[in-house]
Amino acid sequence: MLAGKGFSKVYNLTGGIKAWNKEVAVGAEDTGLHLFSREESPEEAVVVGFGLEVGLREFYLSMQAQTSRESTKALFGKLADIEILHQERLVELYRDMTGSAMTATEFSKKIVEPGMEGGLSTEEYLQLYHIDYDSELEVLGMALAIEAQALDLYLRAAEQSDNHQTKKVLQQIADEERSHIARLSSYIDQQQDLT
Amino acid sequence: MKWMQFFTPVTSINWQEAHQLAEETPGRDVVFLDVRQPKEYAHGHLPGAKLIPLGDLDKRLDELGKEQPIVIY
Repeated sequence: MLAGKGFSKVYNLTGGIKAWNKEVAVGAEDTGLHLFSREESPEEAVVVGFGLEVGLREFYLSMQAQTSRESTKALFGKLADIEILHQERLVELYRDMTGSAMTATEFSKKIVEPGMEGGLSTEEYLQLYHIDYDSELEVLGMALAIEAQALDLYLRAAEQSDNHQTKKVLQQIADEERSHIARLSSYIDQQQDLT
Repeated sequence: MKWMQFFTPVTSINWQEAHQLAEETPGRDVVFLDVRQPKEYAHGHLPGAKLIPLGDLDKRLDELGKEQPIVIY
């Protein structure tokens, strides 16, 4: 239909989503978009992103507190610490945009409420992923799925934004999520090679 | 020329080619267009995919760029 209506670069994905061998996201098209308004500034978009990273770190720390197995505890701790790096990256992005010399601590004071990365609540994630906490690969798989949700959310938020600069910043944060996914995927591959 | 829409060929690409297309397009300006039903989309979709169910597509063509690469599934 599209090709006959003047759309010049239309491709059919062979095998559809079932053949897609990379990360997928779940949820309706507006899942998590309540966190973003269409009119927010690029700076406000970074603040929302930072809140989501804070929320995810808290999630990993709460999971860490609930598990008794030492290696799983250590893994959740590691995942929680990685979120600090992600938060710092967003503060850097904010500094580049505004020229302010704000630290991560000062930045965190701007946040109204930490959200959960990907726009789902902690309970919703736990309902989605019934994982075996004794399996490091399952824990890592859940972390990867959460990053895919975050990528999906930022891309959808960019799509709905009416502010061109905000759109660009959200796409930049989405690129950050892609690099998180790539790093996590290669770590999972290493772990699989070890088992 | 309404017949055009029936005979214009569409290139099929596999998931690796689609991924590569997104990587190589400046600004990753590729639309992954999900033409399934909302429930199917909610069950699992490509990150950032735009949902326009097939039955609504002809009424919502203005939401798509004519020069933008579009990967449909």
